[in-house]
Amino acid sequence: MRFIGQFLRPKSFVYLGIFIVLLFMPKVLPIYQLMLFESGLTFAIMSLGFNLLLRYTGLLSFGHGALFATGAYAVGMMGRYFPELYRIEILIPVALLVSLIVSALFGFICVRHTRIFFSILALALSMVLFALLVKLYDITGGSDGLHIDLPSMFGKSFEGMRRPEFLSGAYYYFLLCTFAVSTIIMLGIVNSPFGKALQSIRDNEVRAEMIGIRVRRYRWYAFVLSGLFTGLGGALWSFVNGHITPEVAEWVFSGEIVYMTLLGGFMVLEGPIIGAILFTYLKLYAVSITQYWMFIIGATLIILVLLLPEGITGGFVRLFSRIKKSEATGAA
Amino acid sequence: MENWIIYILNGLYFASFLFLTALGLSIILGVMGILNLAHGSLFAIGAFMAAWIIGALGVHAPVSIFILALFAALILSGLMGLVLETSLIRPMYERALEYQLLITFGALLLIEDLIKMTWGGTAYYASKPFEMMGILSIGDNQYPLYFLFAMLITVVAGIGIWLIMAKTRVGIMLRAISMDREMAKAMGIRTGRLNTLAFGMGAALAGLAGALVVPTTPALLGIGMEPLIIAFIVIVIGGLGSLKGALVGSLIVGETRSIGIVLFPEIELPLLFLVAVIILVFKPKGLFGR
Amino acid sequence: MTKKKIGRREFIKSAGVAGIGLGAAGLLGSSVKVRKATAAQTRSIPKTPIKVAAVSFLTGAAAAPFGIPGDNAYKLCADEINKQGGILGRKIELKSFDEAGGADAQVKLARKFILEDKVDVILGYISSGNCKAVLPLSDELGGLIIAYDCGTHVLMEESRSPYKVPKYGLGFRSSAHLGIDNIGLALYIKQYYPDVKKIAGINPDYAWGRDSWLVFETAIKQLIPGVEVVNKLWPKLGATDYTAHISALIGSKAEIIHSSLWGGDAVTFTKQAIGMGLFKKARMAYSRGEPYPQEVGMGYPEEQIICCAGTHYFLYPAKDKWPLNKWFVEEFYKRYNKYPTYPCYHAYQAIYTYKAAVEKAASLVGGWPSQEEISKAAAGLSIETPSGMLTIGEDHNGREDVLVGISKKVSGYPFPILDPARMAIFPAHQVNAPVGIRTEDWIKGWKV
Repeated sequence: MRFIGQFLRPKSFVYLGIFIVLLFMPKVLPIYQLMLFESGLTFAIMSLGFNLLLRYTGLLSFGHGALFATGAYAVGMMGRYFPELYRIEILIPVALLVSLIVSALFGFICVRHTRIFFSILALALSMVLFALLVKLYDITGGSDGLHIDLPSMFGKSFEGMRRPEFLSGAYYYFLLCTFAVSTIIMLGIVNSPFGKALQSIRDNEVRAEMIGIRVRRYRWYAFVLSGLFTGLGGALWSFVNGHITPEVAEWVFSGEIVYMTLLGGFMVLEGPIIGAILFTYLKLYAVSITQYWMFIIGATLIILVLLLPEGITGGFVRLFSRIKKSEATGAA
Repeated sequence: MENWIIYILNGLYFASFLFLTALGLSIILGVMGILNLAHGSLFAIGAFMAAWIIGALGVHAPVSIFILALFAALILSGLMGLVLETSLIRPMYERALEYQLLITFGALLLIEDLIKMTWGGTAYYASKPFEMMGILSIGDNQYPLYFLFAMLITVVAGIGIWLIMAKTRVGIMLRAISMDREMAKAMGIRTGRLNTLAFGMGAALAGLAGALVVPTTPALLGIGMEPLIIAFIVIVIGGLGSLKGALVGSLIVGETRSIGIVLFPEIELPLLFLVAVIILVFKPKGLFGR
Repeated sequence: MTKKKIGRREFIKSAGVAGIGLGAAGLLGSSVKVRKATAAQTRSIPKTPIKVAAVSFLTGAAAAPFGIPGDNAYKLCADEINKQGGILGRKIELKSFDEAGGADAQVKLARKFILEDKVDVILGYISSGNCKAVLPLSDELGGLIIAYDCGTHVLMEESRSPYKVPKYGLGFRSSAHLGIDNIGLALYIKQYYPDVKKIAGINPDYAWGRDSWLVFETAIKQLIPGVEVVNKLWPKLGATDYTAHISALIGSKAEIIHSSLWGGDAVTFTKQAIGMGLFKKARMAYSRGEPYPQEVGMGYPEEQIICCAGTHYFLYPAKDKWPLNKWFVEEFYKRYNKYPTYPCYHAYQAIYTYKAAVEKAASLVGGWPSQEEISKAAAGLSIETPSGMLTIGEDHNGREDVLVGISKKVSGYPFPILDPARMAIFPAHQVNAPVGIRTEDWIKGWKV
């Protein structure tokens, strides 16, 4: 009942409005911009998963790129070895399953530690996956990567269609709906008793243990859920990009995931979504205006951490609360 | 079986600059609790500085110019480290450790492009010292003397650090901080200043390591990325914050790689990462970690 | 009382977030260019310049020996074409881009060229990894892409013979693939070192390296059945330390070592190997080794077998016999103070293939041709290049002769050149698989 109650808030109607607006994007945006936006959406799903771990469980993973890669390579390998099963209704569940297994494994190893050790272990594990993807050239295509063909969707084949048409048609709506559903599910998780338990673990591990919460077990569950979202993002992204390489498993991309989340603001559920979409554009335009784009990204990251650690949404929240405060004092 | 002598020597050579890099990383991690993601970029600064000096001046008296280059690299990287620490990391002391990690990541991005702005995008070759030092005959094989020289420098640097840590007041204070920061503060040790010093030392070591590779390897954009990751493996294996661990870890990694390429040429890197993970699972603080 | 306050705060917060969302959407929308319906091609010739994107390694280890010379060659050729009036009166506007950054970055860049910048043609890619990633975009996005330097044969070949050609309607390679290099090496070794017993390989661990070794091993085992492979090493592309590999090679007692190492890797490897005395014990056989004597200089060892990725060499064909090479070598040296190496010749081939295809298609359709029409005209085209003849097959792949030689110090040159007394030219039909047949299958079918 409380779950449903969440959806009758005014916020929900605003989001419904946004969703309806987004349905019209393919008609409004040129294909190149639309593809960027779709990349952003897949990163948004990934960042939602990442933030479950960061904000709600208090664990910073510097290896989430590996989980993203897991989803993407699940699709790629299916295409390579089981082309008869290359249907989106099979590919997505397979990607989720593989992500489940890998996250369970990684998580089991990582959650035995916290803070810097957790981050380091996550980084080390992601580099193992990266190195394997690169070295096993015959299976994974090595550093050259794999090409991702257009899948059939619920019986409809897109053979012969060009990717831009595919991405501005059926796939866009599929992606948008998946994104919406993922957000709703994450909202549910975060507000559920499980979510509250996670936050209590984050705030005070000892107290949580004392009231009977199995700390390590819950952290593991959070890691697995986080991995599922991230892997889903990776699988969906593979169709947009058309090509996957081991680079996404490398720690630099994991760093970008952290950056995206921070950019949007990790204190608010919507923050990572905004951060992911913004980062896609930020990186692209930095690259196109200067060869020193790393400097720009690095500088903005440092500024963010120093001045705006709660990200853009955090900044807005503070701004609004300050307006509110001045209103209140003014009224008094 | 003189081939095996060469394989072992190769492993030692690789372990040399690995040790210097890992030592620097370990000092920073031990004293400050920060995993310095910009460490590879500091390595790169050392490499470019040395390569540039050798390229510009090394035609005359290459070996002495090379020693000059080593010092210059060390100093430049050390300075960069001091600048980094005071400007970016110090404001983060009160914040969560995670933010500190992010700041070093941002610093990495900045420094990589600063290097690009300063030295451009092409490769800097500096092989004169390597060629000039000649070779040593080991049975039927030849072994470049430069590799032995690099190992010598590493040993000197290692002994130097050990002397500082064991015998000087500053060193003892650094070790105290790395063992228990709160207690050290309570005893009146000025952690702020010492943090800066530790960071500078770590950075200088990375720069020295970078300078040592350029006679055999061109200085290139991104040259520091792989040393960072492998140094990270080394300290994970050896133990976070342990200097002995950095030494043992580098030897293990260096020899594994050298012998691995001879016996299992297909495996190379994944083997190292896997070893690191296995060790982490059982001894999360590394072999000698506290 | 409290409930209302929370409600309002929540609403404002969410409105703020929504505002951001709508604002962002609005921003995106306002930067829109309404998609124009493609007008039917009128058969006039536009006055606007031809937009050409040239992609080579402008930074990194591959820049000095490959990317920059290749890019310089593009500039030289574009200037020459424009000097002669352009292509059908339209001038070429050449923009150079950096191939560094990895396959994923190149895919994004190519997508931008085709969809946003709307270039007429992309001439690019030295790295086989980048080619493999980018070439599918030609058909996917509808843009003409001519690969100029990358060599992996699996770019255009399928996994079974016979296979349907062409693989990409709008994707081409204006040079021959690594088949000619490695078959050429095998033929040369058979001719000059038929008694070799032990061979080894050190190749970079990606498509180019793996495929080069595969073709070489298949060919040499066909030609010299008793030969033994004593070691196969796979350093990663861009590795900086080869000392362990060099020792392993020495330890395995190989006589001839095959290598497709290129760019900075080849230079670094050579320098380290000189120091460790590899060349006193073994001889290298480089599948694309032609630039390195010039890069390394007088220190480059003699007696190394070098293949020229075709017959691309500043001394072949001789200047008095082939004026086009004379012009190319002299012009390039005048502008850039270096002799052109094979990436430069490849660049020439790419841009002149485009020119010839456009001109041929235009003569058929009577106006500026579409991408598809240019593509159809390019298949089967033959042009003269500074190195000889280049033919583009029905599979959209180039076909060339190959030159293999051996390094030797000769007075008058500041670096070792190919010994004129031991140069071998193998004609195209001997080293290129027939259209539609996999190179490995073709080699295995040889009657030796």
